[in-house]
Amino acid sequence: MFKKIQNWFDERIGLTELINEFNGERIPARGGWAYTLGSLLAFLFTIQVVTGIFLLFYYVPYFPMARNATYYIKHHVLFGNILLGIHLWGAFTMIFFLLVHMSRVYFSGSYKKPRELQWVVGMVLFSVVVVLGLTGYMLIGNENSWWTINVLTNVASHTPVIGGFLRIIVRGGTETSVLTMQHIFAVHVWLLPIIVIMFIPVHIFLIRKTGEQGLPLEYKNSKLADDDINKWKHPDATVPFFPNQLYKDMIVALCVFAVVYMLAVVYGAPIGPMYRPLALNFAPEADWYFLANEELLKYFPGHGLIIFSTFLVPTIGFAILFALPFIDRGHERSPFKRPAAAVLGILFLLLLVYLTLIGGEPKAPATV
Amino acid sequence: MTKSSEESPSRRTFMMVVIGLISAVVGVAVAIPILGEVLSPLFKKRDIVWSKLGKVSDLKNIEPLVPKFVPVYFRVKEGWTVNTLPRQVIVVKDITGKLYFFSNQCTHLGCPLHWIPARQKFMCPCHGGMFNVLGKVVGGPPPRPLYVWVHKIENDTVLIQNKFLDNPKERGV
Repeated sequence: MFKKIQNWFDERIGLTELINEFNGERIPARGGWAYTLGSLLAFLFTIQVVTGIFLLFYYVPYFPMARNATYYIKHHVLFGNILLGIHLWGAFTMIFFLLVHMSRVYFSGSYKKPRELQWVVGMVLFSVVVVLGLTGYMLIGNENSWWTINVLTNVASHTPVIGGFLRIIVRGGTETSVLTMQHIFAVHVWLLPIIVIMFIPVHIFLIRKTGEQGLPLEYKNSKLADDDINKWKHPDATVPFFPNQLYKDMIVALCVFAVVYMLAVVYGAPIGPMYRPLALNFAPEADWYFLANEELLKYFPGHGLIIFSTFLVPTIGFAILFALPFIDRGHERSPFKRPAAAVLGILFLLLLVYLTLIGGEPKAPATV
Repeated sequence: MTKSSEESPSRRTFMMVVIGLISAVVGVAVAIPILGEVLSPLFKKRDIVWSKLGKVSDLKNIEPLVPKFVPVYFRVKEGWTVNTLPRQVIVVKDITGKLYFFSNQCTHLGCPLHWIPARQKFMCPCHGGMFNVLGKVVGGPPPRPLYVWVHKIENDTVLIQNKFLDNPKERGV
């Protein structure tokens, strides 16, 4: 019976061949666990899309009501707390593993020729996912959301020339209003997810196109010199994607999903208090992945320097990351053989962790 | 007889131009209303209203150099709604008896300021901006002194507008 169905499809569209082509991709054999991060992110994104779609059954993007709608999902919808929790912890986990994935690619030099485009597309995905996280934080509609919207649109307003217009466009007016929430909602549930959904296939297509390349440890038997580009085209051994690599992918996905699910069930999604515009002792807090940037805003005092913290430093940082494969053009891949890149990478990660930790410290107390 | 594009290079060029033109026309035709829709807020005038804050004689009785937080409510049109925006006005009387009407938003990025009596300062809980009681920056990243609400006094009543003095870029509010 199954065979007959298969034949029916094969005669018309060659389905088996298509599936074999897709699943038969050769993956370098030794670093299998390191290559699970990308598919883990695709898996987490799928979870985000599915949970997000069903959260929309109850959510209202209207400022005074959004927080109550979220509250209703958490406390009055059957298993709503789990759904909301998965969406929140899934987002945190996704951003965390994005950073791990990027670090892995950075230290193993996988962004080098011919995979420059790969890195650029990955950076687009990274930027979009971070904005997805921030807009999601704003959509909860609690007190933190309100101040996050205000602070971030004010940050945007310091962009040279177009800053003021940018803030008005995002807010839908000079003030944070009902239109602001509607805009953020549209961006969070449609615009940015569509970009991610479009760029993930491009990311995967580019991997297939550039062929089976991997960590430096895949090339131990190669007799070619390190700066020979042909060396990186032929790993010592490869395995098919299905089932060898997918098996590892699924195990990692299950482990991470189990953690996300547990966090969702045990801690759930905290929904802060309703927005109180007149509160005198409220200290807004950013999400953990934005704390480093938040900390940056505390430096550069005064009118002339504010543009450094709001625009120049983050933009230049992002520009360098985007252009990384075009800046670091050597063919050497092992982190031990390119000490400058490795040390810079480690220093950058340490700086990020340091800024995040001090950014997470308690703010100015309400009374001293 | 229709000729295949392989046989006639000029016909091939013609087809390519037509394909490009059709794409461009449809693209621009859709892009114009989208652009208008997105940029629309730039062409909307903000709803500016006056709102009562309180009696001058009452406000004159506050202690000098001790800020008093007084809520004010603006009934304004926002998009397709009419909303009441509650905002804080910090009323300060200096030693000569002059009244100041500050906003409680930090001029750095707009967080709500806390008054710390022990230090006689307003502190921003977000990025550590500090202002003295008369609104001057005394520490941290804020680029300018506290915003002052547009205000006027009519028949012993203080009226406040949802607008700041000396704020050409319309930051805050």
